[in-house]
Amino acid sequence: MEVIVQVIASGLTLGAMYAVAAVGLALVYGALGMLNIAHGAILTFGGYAAFYVITSLGLPMVAGVAAAVAAGALLGLAIYVVLVHGMLSAPAFETNIFIATFGIGMALENVVLKLFGAYPAAQPLALDGAVAVFDVFIPVRNIAILVAGVLLMVATAWLLTRTQTGNAIRATAQNRAAAELMGVRVRWIYAQVLAISGALAGVSGIMVSSLTNLSPTMGGDPMLKAFIVCVVAGLGNVYGAMIAAIALGLVEATAQYLLGVRFGLATLLVLVILTLIWRPHGLFGRTQVQRL
Amino acid sequence: MTAPGKDLVIGVVLVAIAATVPFLFPVRYVITQMTLLFIYAIVVTQWNLVLGVAGIFSLAQMALFACGAYATAMLGLYLDWSLWAAMPAGAMIAVVVGLLIGLACLRLKGPYVALLTLAIAQVAYLVIITDTDCFIRTETRCEPFTGGASGLRRFGDLGLREWLGRDWIIGNYFVGLGLLVAAMAFSVAVARGPLGLAFRALRDNLGYARSRGISQFKYQLVVFALSAFFTGLAGAFYAAHFKSVGPTIFSFSLLLLLLAMIVVGGLGTIWGPIVGATLVMFADEGLREVQDFRTLGLGLTLALFVLLLPDGLTGTASRLLARWRGSGS
Repeated sequence: MEVIVQVIASGLTLGAMYAVAAVGLALVYGALGMLNIAHGAILTFGGYAAFYVITSLGLPMVAGVAAAVAAGALLGLAIYVVLVHGMLSAPAFETNIFIATFGIGMALENVVLKLFGAYPAAQPLALDGAVAVFDVFIPVRNIAILVAGVLLMVATAWLLTRTQTGNAIRATAQNRAAAELMGVRVRWIYAQVLAISGALAGVSGIMVSSLTNLSPTMGGDPMLKAFIVCVVAGLGNVYGAMIAAIALGLVEATAQYLLGVRFGLATLLVLVILTLIWRPHGLFGRTQVQRL
Repeated sequence: MTAPGKDLVIGVVLVAIAATVPFLFPVRYVITQMTLLFIYAIVVTQWNLVLGVAGIFSLAQMALFACGAYATAMLGLYLDWSLWAAMPAGAMIAVVVGLLIGLACLRLKGPYVALLTLAIAQVAYLVIITDTDCFIRTETRCEPFTGGASGLRRFGDLGLREWLGRDWIIGNYFVGLGLLVAAMAFSVAVARGPLGLAFRALRDNLGYARSRGISQFKYQLVVFALSAFFTGLAGAFYAAHFKSVGPTIFSFSLLLLLLAMIVVGGLGTIWGPIVGATLVMFADEGLREVQDFRTLGLGLTLALFVLLLPDGLTGTASRLLARWRGSGS
């Protein structure tokens, strides 16, 4: 019983963390058909922005969260202005933007390394203490991550379904040309989507670093997991990504308990490959019929 | 001149230049870096077949390279094989792994392939660096099966030291050059031949190519297997030349370096990867003074090239040449 509670608790924490990172990726892929490899670097920047504001400037924790959101959103916007705007109409956009954001991501990681050094630092924005559930002590920061994750998911769903911007984003994702004809300023939507995705990445940077540590390469692992989540869900499927993130968090926690931490990711990957052989467009993805 | 004739002339000139380098600059550092350039050039010419000619966005090339390198090291270390026998065996193991990866990616498209192959490489890396179980115990310490985070060492070398003495490094240089020539000839033959035509047809219009009877199943597996052979051999030679293998060959910065070589030279072109490998390698050497900003520079270069010159240097050059000829006649 205790083991089950422990595995579920850590699985849900992992899942909530992956969900926040994965939804940002899914939003961008859904709207632009673009894989943002710099997502992990934006996540790292968010974590460090909170660290800098709280530790070096001595501002309260709320300012740390705001700084992470602002840093992420600004980087997302910058990627739109510098890369996406110029490349959108060029041929082979999907491949080229992948390569370009890979380069930008590595460059950003190098900037963090130069600014803050290679040594891991502790994230000041973390809660201490633990709560007992069925005689199992669960750290408060895990619960905070879960709550924050759920709140962000609800907020994203609200934004997408209940606001004008959300309608425009969904319309653009469904059919770019039709949305443009209806008067949606598609390029402005793209910029907004990248900013929202960046802001989500910034927050998930705080979540990830509050469980482990801040380091210039910390974005790599959560980004890889977020990619796996998106692939399993079907690229671009935001709600699928939410469900798949929680499911994969639980699977990873179970595999880590049963097979050891080393093989958590390996087990996950085997499952992903099997899923993809069974459904090449992901669990919730639809087969696209293409005109020749 | 016909295209094969032109390729032959370019190839002979490049080999002639490369063959004189160790005698014009008999410096150990230059020879070592040039040998490393040959190894990277082999990898990018083969990667270009998958990425550029066949248009399959696989990021598993360094994992295949690592397969060749680790297999060679392990055969030498645990079974006492001569590295001359272990190298082709390592390459064949890379081919088998390449086939398996190709099989896993068979039904996937574009970004799905990229993510899956990236994840496969990362899992291999994580399994190796977290390996701490004792496999062989020496007097001072215990070595895990894969060498763990510190890698494998002392599995022998190519044995050129007994034969050439202090010039063994020049011997290795020519082995590397020989492998590069073979890999390049192979990739030119594939890209210009009927196989290359089939790969390009599947890349440019999958539905049309398939309706004309080109089997995606067959050719996708073929391109993965073909490009895995010389990539694995390059990895095997890397292990034999440096006499050590470590998990650093999985690093993102190395992947970035190789991808930059292809993109700077020209994705999908015949000579682009070689041109790109040489230029990026020399630029990298030139920037050794400001090494802290190496990744920053490489990353920005990659993004700038994709943004401004998506055909790379050779692609842009041949387009300009064609326009100039067109206006001249």
